[in-house]
Amino acid sequence: MKTLDAQGSAAVGVSDPSWLAGRRKTALDYYEKLDMPSSIEEVWRYVELGFSIDDYVLAEGPGEAHEIGAGIAAALANNAGSVAMVDGHTVSADTGTSAAVFGTLSSLLVESPDLLEGYLGTLIDPDLDKFSAAHHAFSGEGVALVVPAGAAVIEPFFIDVQAATSGTVSFPRITLVAEKSSQASVVIRYRSDDDVDALVVPHLELFAADNSNLNVTVVQHWGAGTRSISHARAVVGRDANVHLGEAGLGGSMSRLQLTVDLEGNGSSANIVGAYFGDAAQTMDYRYTMHHAGVNTNSDMFLKGAVQDEALSVFTGMIRIDEEAQKTNAYQTNRNLILSDGASAQSVPNLEILANDVKCGHGSTMGPLDEEQHYYLMSRGLDEERTNRLLVHGFFNEALAKFPEPVVADVVTSWIDTKYRTAQEAGRV
Amino acid sequence: MSVALQVSDVRAQYGDLEILKGVDLEVPFGEVHVLMGPNGSGKSTLCHVLMGKDEYEATGSALVGGTEVMGLPVDERARLGLFEAFQYPVEVPGVSLDDLIDEMGEVRDDAGFAARVESASDLLDMARFRERAVNGGLSGGEKKRSEMFQMAISQPKVAILDEIDSGLDIDAVREVAHLVEELRSDDLGVLIITHYSRILRYMKPDKIHVMVAGKVVKTGGPEIAAELEASGYVEMQAGEATLAAPEVATPFDV
Repeated sequence: MKTLDAQGSAAVGVSDPSWLAGRRKTALDYYEKLDMPSSIEEVWRYVELGFSIDDYVLAEGPGEAHEIGAGIAAALANNAGSVAMVDGHTVSADTGTSAAVFGTLSSLLVESPDLLEGYLGTLIDPDLDKFSAAHHAFSGEGVALVVPAGAAVIEPFFIDVQAATSGTVSFPRITLVAEKSSQASVVIRYRSDDDVDALVVPHLELFAADNSNLNVTVVQHWGAGTRSISHARAVVGRDANVHLGEAGLGGSMSRLQLTVDLEGNGSSANIVGAYFGDAAQTMDYRYTMHHAGVNTNSDMFLKGAVQDEALSVFTGMIRIDEEAQKTNAYQTNRNLILSDGASAQSVPNLEILANDVKCGHGSTMGPLDEEQHYYLMSRGLDEERTNRLLVHGFFNEALAKFPEPVVADVVTSWIDTKYRTAQEAGRV
Repeated sequence: MSVALQVSDVRAQYGDLEILKGVDLEVPFGEVHVLMGPNGSGKSTLCHVLMGKDEYEATGSALVGGTEVMGLPVDERARLGLFEAFQYPVEVPGVSLDDLIDEMGEVRDDAGFAARVESASDLLDMARFRERAVNGGLSGGEKKRSEMFQMAISQPKVAILDEIDSGLDIDAVREVAHLVEELRSDDLGVLIITHYSRILRYMKPDKIHVMVAGKVVKTGGPEIAAELEASGYVEMQAGEATLAAPEVATPFDV
């Protein structure tokens, strides 16, 4: 087992191209200097981590991989390429036959060492926090996609990220690049069994060059014993669009810190989220939408539910630069509290320096709507059925906005099952 | 003809406020009745109390097709044959009308349900609304039509249409009135709750009941409407004039 120290970092980076080796070294310095984050810091408020990153070690190799579940497999039967990783190691890779370059970092860094130099690890700073520093210092494998200018790949690329070995930490790194006027869709699935006590620290970097369309669907379905602390950042060029759907279902603690930079004039982002926590799960979303270009549009739309003793956190920041006139920016976060012991935090923020913008935010929190409940029961639906239909409808509003409808349908069925299971156990 | 709805001495309060003070009412099968009264007289409360909304404390008896429904949960009343068409049908985001219809079919042991959905859908021209969210983005008239559609597929013994004509323009009122006549059957008793008499211009109710201050103060034929037009609700019950007075000026807001 490799531990999270200089030796571990050197071992992981043994075949790095020189540009990457330099970055890894810098990150290791940060890792050694930085403390574990604390809830005193605003961006970590409301959440107690209750563990240290060096409680975990790097896996020497992949644990046993699971087959893809039937639902997702059917939804993604026609894909443009797929990679499966377990415990930070690739177990299968089908690079597909599309016009795009798609594959694992371990292959691509050898085949074309310079291809990713301008992208890989450039968006998410190593000094952001100890997890980010650790990611840069210890990440040994990942997946990259580069869609060449003008190419449109219709079928989605599929990236299956699993954790299988308790006590291990992995740092999956996913870098997606849509060059000018290109188009692609990527589905990322995170999963583990309930008894896997592992830590996963993914980085997701999205580069949408001018006039491109990049669609990304993230389905987080970690097992009950797995923690994930992930960072994501997207940079969007002129007239380009990033459409990101994030479904959060699993994990004892799962966190996503996302920043979208709408740099190009006329760029836009649709960020949709659906998350559902139960038992003692913590789901933690920290989103920043940064409008830098003129005439940029953003919409963040997140719906979350909590039951049992689960906690969810959403903090959303819309930041509009002084130059970013004619901006439209909206964020909505709606929360369902399904048990007395569950709680949600929802904190929308605006920071607007331009004067010609349209901006709105809304946040709600509460139980199922009584009037809707009464209406459905008056149609003869019993209590349990009524509640199921309302929970289904609540999430459907978000999932209907996901980039890949077939994946959203599978997520819908998981959410329905999660609620029904709680009902049948008498927990809600 | 036997009785679809038999209401006896129904009383209800909301907190400390007594709203229904002993309501008696009877709607036979095959008939369409109208319950009129000023704002605040308790018409909509009666509707919710009969349906079982839990924000009221209610006593008394209500038989639907001979079966007592008071004390039962809302959904059981519905399955026993009571239907409420809402004054303000609430939007149910993310739930399509078809989703709701599927569930309505599943809770009913009713072999004719699926066929009835299709025929009512054609009759009421509902096809384009069925994949949309329940009441989502519908106009006032469309919402009422959706209510009538759900009533038709539920095949209730008793339908209470709460202010079915409110918020509608005159064409929509006429359409609703025609739909009620269309759905009239020997297996159904209809009670239309309304504030205004204008819907009566387009349909022929068998009886009109007048409610003032939590009681039915008068029951009679359609001629009562003309009487109301002449005198307003005030004359219906001396002593409640203060409550009813604001309605005198505009009992018919056509």
